[in-house]
Amino acid sequence: MNISVTFHSYFKGLTGIEQTRVELSEGATLADLLDLLYQQHPRLADMERSTLIAVGVEYQNRDYPLQPGDRVALFPPVQGG
Amino acid sequence: MKRQLVLTRSPIDEAALLLARPASPTAGAALTFAGIVRAEEDSKVIEAIDYEAYQEMAVHQFHKLLDAVEAQWPIESLRLIHRLGAVKVNETSLWIEVVSGHRKEAFAAAQWLIDEMKKTVPIWKRPLPTAS
Repeated sequence: MNISVTFHSYFKGLTGIEQTRVELSEGATLADLLDLLYQQHPRLADMERSTLIAVGVEYQNRDYPLQPGDRVALFPPVQGG
Repeated sequence: MKRQLVLTRSPIDEAALLLARPASPTAGAALTFAGIVRAEEDSKVIEAIDYEAYQEMAVHQFHKLLDAVEAQWPIESLRLIHRLGAVKVNETSLWIEVVSGHRKEAFAAAQWLIDEMKKTVPIWKRPLPTAS
């Protein structure tokens, strides 16, 4: 299944891109997606503990089962105000 | 609860916002808060902060917080304006107004809302150092 991924804040600098698309097997979870992204972008792996993940406009945990067409966003802790 | 949520790249006109406050015969408290860009960030002198948002999600998460405020306190109206893009030192980056029957719930709701937005609303800031 095809999943789109966007990066926000300084994660764009860590990966060098704002968005990408990845192909994953049916039944894959966010953790599987992260494993793949960390291989492609090792600097992102360094931020694993402070990475927030959203699917669409909702936060999700790493065991979230992905669905075809999901839009995933990865970003560091938020700091509005 | 009446609500207004705006994410804007334009300066926040606080005077105009105050003039536009809806009249209410039952309102007894109108609390406003302005978050202002400091001249120093992480011990460095800056001239502005650049605010970036994942806008679609930020709007959604803000509304979830406003839903929670509405469920928890008897608030008549809540207006929240957040700047995006470069906001210069001394300019207002965040403006909130909470109107309620009594001050206690206005203070409580505003404090809670600001604390929570800093945990869940996807907005980030990047200090812009002075040219020198």
